[in-house]
Order: sequence, then C-alpha cells, then structure tokens
Amino acid sequence: MGVFNAIARQFDRATIIAFGCIGVLLLIGSLAEPAFLSPQYLIQQLHVASFLGVVATGVMLVILLGHIDLSIPWTIGVGGMMATGAVSILGPEWGVPLAIPFGICCGALIGVINGLGVAYLRAPSMIFTLGMNAVAQGLMVYHTGGFAPQDRATELMRELTVGQLIPGVPNPILIWIFVGAAAMFMLNRSTLGRQIYAIGNQERAVFLSGVDTRKVILICFVISGACAAATGVLLAGWANRSYQAMGDPYLLPTIAAIILGGTNVLGGRGKYIGTVAGVILITILQSMLSVVQPQRYFAQLGLDFPADTFRQVVFGLVIFGMLLIYGRQQLVR
Amino acid sequence: MPLLRMEGISKHYGGVRALENVSFEARRGSIHALLGENGAGKSTLIKVLSGVVQPDAGTISIDGEPVQFANPQEANDAGISCIFQELSLLPDLTVADNIGITRPPKKFGMIDFAAQRRIAEAALARVGGESIDPLATVSELSLSRRQMVEIAKAMARDPKILILDEATSALTAADVEKVFAMLHTLRSEGMSIIYISHRMNEIAELADTCTVYRNGQKVETFEAGTKSDNAIVEMMIGREYDSVFPPKIAKTLDAAPVLRVKDFSWQDQLNGINLQIRPGEIVGLGGLDGQGQKQLQLGLFGTLIGATGSVEINGKPVNLTSPKRAKSDEIGMALIPEDRKGEGLMLPMTVRENLSFAAVEKVSRFGLVDQAAEESAIAEMVSLLKIKSDGIDGPVAALSGGNQQKVVIGKWLMTRPRIILLNDPTRGIDVGTKQEIYQLLQKLAGEGAAILFYSTDYDELIGCCDRVLVMYDGAVVRTLSGDQLTETNLVSAALNLPAGNVEADIAVQAREIAK
Repeated sequence: MGVFNAIARQFDRATIIAFGCIGVLLLIGSLAEPAFLSPQYLIQQLHVASFLGVVATGVMLVILLGHIDLSIPWTIGVGGMMATGAVSILGPEWGVPLAIPFGICCGALIGVINGLGVAYLRAPSMIFTLGMNAVAQGLMVYHTGGFAPQDRATELMRELTVGQLIPGVPNPILIWIFVGAAAMFMLNRSTLGRQIYAIGNQERAVFLSGVDTRKVILICFVISGACAAATGVLLAGWANRSYQAMGDPYLLPTIAAIILGGTNVLGGRGKYIGTVAGVILITILQSMLSVVQPQRYFAQLGLDFPADTFRQVVFGLVIFGMLLIYGRQQLVR
Repeated sequence: MPLLRMEGISKHYGGVRALENVSFEARRGSIHALLGENGAGKSTLIKVLSGVVQPDAGTISIDGEPVQFANPQEANDAGISCIFQELSLLPDLTVADNIGITRPPKKFGMIDFAAQRRIAEAALARVGGESIDPLATVSELSLSRRQMVEIAKAMARDPKILILDEATSALTAADVEKVFAMLHTLRSEGMSIIYISHRMNEIAELADTCTVYRNGQKVETFEAGTKSDNAIVEMMIGREYDSVFPPKIAKTLDAAPVLRVKDFSWQDQLNGINLQIRPGEIVGLGGLDGQGQKQLQLGLFGTLIGATGSVEINGKPVNLTSPKRAKSDEIGMALIPEDRKGEGLMLPMTVRENLSFAAVEKVSRFGLVDQAAEESAIAEMVSLLKIKSDGIDGPVAALSGGNQQKVVIGKWLMTRPRIILLNDPTRGIDVGTKQEIYQLLQKLAGEGAAILFYSTDYDELIGCCDRVLVMYDGAVVRTLSGDQLTETNLVSAALNLPAGNVEADIAVQAREIAK
C-alpha cells in the first residue's frame, strides 16, 4: 500500500497529461506512418531522448531552486570538446582513459563558477549563466581555432553511446535510467532534496532554519554543469567527434521538457517523472516533425517553406500550444 | 432594510471548512464588528464579500439587489472597499500613484498626474493624514503612515461599504485616534462599516453591533455593550475562559547562565548589549517596536554580518556565524521569527516537510531521511502542540494562522534547543492559541530551556517573563523584574524616561504615545 502511494505521488496532473500527450502524438503519427508504433522506432526515440534526459536532469535541479542555467549549450560543447581533446591536452597516456572524467569535470567546473556567482556573489542566474555560456563559447573557439576539432572520440565513448550492454537496449538509455533514478531518489528521500524544494519555495525561511543555502545552490549548479558535459561526452561519442555549437539545439528542448513535465519555472514544485515525460514528448515531437515533413503539405498548396526553418516554427508552435493547454501557472488568489 | 445581506454562505478549501451556512447583515450608518479566533471564518467572509474568493454556496444582496462578484474589481464597482491587514501598497510607487492605481484620472489617454495628486490630497485629508506628502515614495514611510495611505486609498473609491480587516494593528495611537474620528464621521454620513480587530477595547469604543464566529459558523449577533468582555471571549473560544496567563513556574535560578552576551553591537542599530539568561529563565525584550529587538535576536542567531562583541554558551566563548552554526548541538539555539509566512514556513510545502525541516539531520542517516524516525518525531510534535490540520501531507498554507505558528514552533522544538529566541510569536493569533503558547513557554522553561521573548504586547511580557530588558535605540536601558514589572514602568522605560520619575501625568502621557 505504502509503495503504491509513494509511486502514485510521483504522478501529478502535469505528468499524467504529458504522458497522455505522448500517447496522442504516437497515435496521430501512426495514422500517417504505421512504423511510429514499432518497437525499433520507440527504442530509437528513447535512445535519442536519453541525451536530452541527462542534461534536463541537471537543469531541473537548478529550476527547482528558482534559478535557471542558460550556460548548457556551451557546457555541452565543453564536455564534448574536452573529452575528445583530452588526448592532445593530457597526452596519449592519460588522455585516453581520462577522456570522459576530464570532459565531465570541465563541465562541473563551469557549474562551480555558476554556483559561486549565483549563490555567493548573488548575481542573477539568468544573466550570469548566459554570460558563462558566452565565456565557454569563447574559450572553445580559442581552443579549436574556430575550426571543427580534428580529434576523435575514444573507444569507450563510442561504446557508451552505440554499444548495447543489454542486447536491444542502447547504453545511453541505461545511463539515463541510472542518472534519473539517482536524481529521483535524491529529490524524494534525501535531506538535500528537501532543501532544494524548500529553497525554491522560500529561501529566507530555509536559511533561517539553519541550512547552508549557498552550498545547496552551488551543488545544484555543479550537478547541472556535470550533466550537461556528460551529454556532450555522449554526443561526441555518437558522432565520433565533437563539433562547434554541438549543444546549441539543446537549450529550448531542455527547458521546454522540464516545464512541460510540470516543474514550476519559479521553483519549488515538480516531479522528476514529469521531466522524463517532457523529455520523451519533446523528442518524439522533433522526430515526427522531421519524418512527416509538414512543409510538403504546404508545398502542395504552392507555399514554399525551407524544411529546417519550418520544422523549427512548428516545433515552437506546438510547445506554445501545450503550454497553453496545461503548462501555465495556477491563477494565484 | 439592511444595506448588505449575505445568506447561507459556505466555503471550503480542500477538505477544510472555512465557512458553513453563514448569514450576515449590515445596516447603513452603523459599525459592525466581527469577532472570532483566527480560522473562525472572519477573513474568509470578508474575502467573499470583496470578491477575492467565490463562495461555494449562498447569496449576497446589496440594497435588496442580488449581486455576484467574480473578482475584487466588481466588488469595488458595487461600492465595497476593503482594507486588509496585510499591506497591499506598491512600495516603489508614490503615495498618489498608489491611491489612484485602480482608477487613475486620465488626460489624452495618459495619467493626469496633477489630478491624481489632488485626488490623493483630498483622500488623505479625509482620513486625517494631511501631513503625508502625496509625492513621497511609499517605501520611505513608516508602517503607521503606510497604513494611513492604505485607508486613504480605500476611501478614494467612495465606498458604500467599508471593510477594515485588522487595519489598525500597525497604527500609532495618534493615528488610531484620527481613524476612529473618521469612522465616526463616516457612520453619521450613512456608510456601513465592517470592522475586524483583535483589540477588545477598540471594539468597545467603535462598534454598534457585534457578531461572533467560531469554526466557520456564526455564534451570535448582539448589540455592543450588552455582553462583558469575558462573555465575548468565551463565545469566541467556545469554552470557559480562565486567567490568560498560566502561573509562572517557581524555579530556583542558581544555575550558571547558559547564554552570556557581552557588548554586542552591530552597525548603529545595536549598541553594546549585555545580557545573560539562565536555564529555565524567561527573559522578555520590551520597548517600542523597532528599537533593535529584532536585530538582537537575528544577531544572536548568526545572521548579522559584522556584529561585534562576545557570546558565551555555558561559559565557553563561541563564534556565531550562521543559523546553521547556531542550531548545532554545541550551541542549541532556535529562532522563531517574526514573519512566519516569509521567514518561518515554506507555505506550499506539506506540514510534514515544514515540521521536520530544521531537525531533518536528526531524523536522517547518511543524508537520507529515515521516514520512520521522521514520522514519530512529527507525531510527537503534533500531539504536544495540538496542531490541527487536515492531515500532515496537506500544504501548511491551508492551516489557520495559529496552527501555522504552532508548526513554526514545533519545527524548532524538534531540534531540542537549549536557548529559544521568540520574536513576537503571538502577533495576529487568536486568544486560545496564545494561551497554549504561554503554557508551552512555562513548560519549556520548567524543563530547563532558556527563553528570550520579544513581544509588542506589554501584558504578555508581564504575564510570562521573569525579567524584562527594555530596549531603546539599540541599547538595553532598563531591566525590570518582580514588583517593578508593571505596565507603567515598562512604558516609561520604553520611552527612556528617567527612572524614579513616576509622576502620574508623565506615565499617562507615556501610555498615550506608546499605544
């Protein structure tokens, strides 16, 4: 009984609606293309979703605090480029085994700076992390000379993204499950989780309750940076190399997935399961838009839209629509 | 025919009953007082009337015409103006902007500032606040002046029905006089005034009719002056009303002081404070509001950067640098803050999470909450403090003010503190809960806790404390105990009048100003 209650409590209204939207989306899609319901397609979507899922995990913690981390695009870039560049930076002897931890640590370092700025210098997170994004971009352009980096991903990185430890299940899905389970456990059962929600609700009361609020904020930003860099490492393994602006397509989907999953953008409220639903929803939406190619229908009507641009427009409009349906804040009385 | 008639009003918040089939009538040219404990339903009734919340059932009619308010604007348009106990002014705008905010006078589509200023001046003059500059920024004004602006703002809308919800609790005595004079004038002009206050003497002075509420239901409506204060309080709490203050527990205070503070200073708000508290002692902090009492408690709790002076716990010098350090086992301090909504609680979170929050390390192992230990610690607090809630997994915001305050106290008692700092813990709380808090203080002192108790209520200080330190301008100016602990002495010390000068007229004068 207690177990059922504990599980039921994870599914708030937004989470259920988000899962509902996933179902509706798949059904509509399957009318146009029956393959959308095939297990291969669904596994493939989860595979793609796990990149977004890992970065969203970290950002969700920051949003729960009532802050935001806008440095993720280039933190992903740093994670990927530092992991592939580890050989040339650390030398071949250390660079190969340490490539992954090196990439993630560089992302965590960005998180440390974000955390110090927001928690200790009390800079507004929106502008501080945005500035951090520009700094990271500048450093990476300096590092690569502005060209596509020539380094390749290590064998382990390849294995992590394309290998299958369990046959039929790509490894990134396992990584996401592991990271997600840890985050969920932390949010629900640990004192740190309590403190994260509490800071998002009323930081002053938390401070006066004898909690080192600055430390909690710092920890969340570090986790966010590390998660983003981990996504960068995975993306680099996936493409077998890192590339400029590799994290840029992730900013909007990450935040949209978290908000569509029911997390309050002002902090204090939201379930991890909701973020999972939001991530899957966004991924499937993006995939369907590229498979279905909606601009073709308009081309038949004589309206000529470039494919890529049009996809972005529809993607944005669908997110607007979903936010209007259920993502808005309750009217406060 | 009454101007206002409300019939069969019911309102539930979740499973909590706020109002059940309540009727209410108000006549023209009369002042109707609403009485009741916190959570009795007065505030909800007022919110229904002013369109802030919609009732689940019931009808409202004005002048015999049925009305329905979907929002406060509609209630305003129907001639209902409400002054709430929480200030609703925008601090960064000017007084005139605030007064004109709902209906600014316009010229060519732009706000006509000259006209707005004239309206504000007229409204201020009407409530007796001529001395307030309409172009001053609200945040520059004192609390009492702000409340006057609030009243002027309500008056500027020319209401037929004026509601004052604890609107005078922040006013100085001089301003209260002015507001009362204004209310008397308005009554003679035929306005219907609904008045909520916890101060019995104000109600005796103002009201024509009184209605008592309890647990969301109407108890009785009667003409003012037909019942004794005690009878009214009994109606409010629904039980026999004995002495408010429990007897002070006789104790021998020969133990060494648990807290000793020497020459404690901070910026120019605290000047060389010395104090010591023994285990089992309740030490009061008195004086006018804003003489550094709050800063002293915050400073002891480690929140003031740059505080100087020495603090000893059990004879050992300690460095209080943060609340985290102050609540550590070595020091064992707890602070029940003044503003329970902003500083004491996370309102949307559950009663459970709030109660165990400060002591969460005590019910955790390796950073993980031990749910069984948490459960039993919470059950202990709920029964000790008699916290009434709809279940501990509901949001703490759904509780009444008194029960919220109990949650704040419970959250700190769970840390088993040796030193308890209380900052005006009974403000805005009903009589019944106040009494429970007084009893709790005596019990805690009996168990050996050292208590530093700041209150703006002199009766409370006299009734609860072994000793009272009166503060003035950031310093302790007098210590009163035993027979010296009287209202007259407290008031004269609060005004920093020379000791021994007890001529009656000065004391009377002092009382006037202090109130």
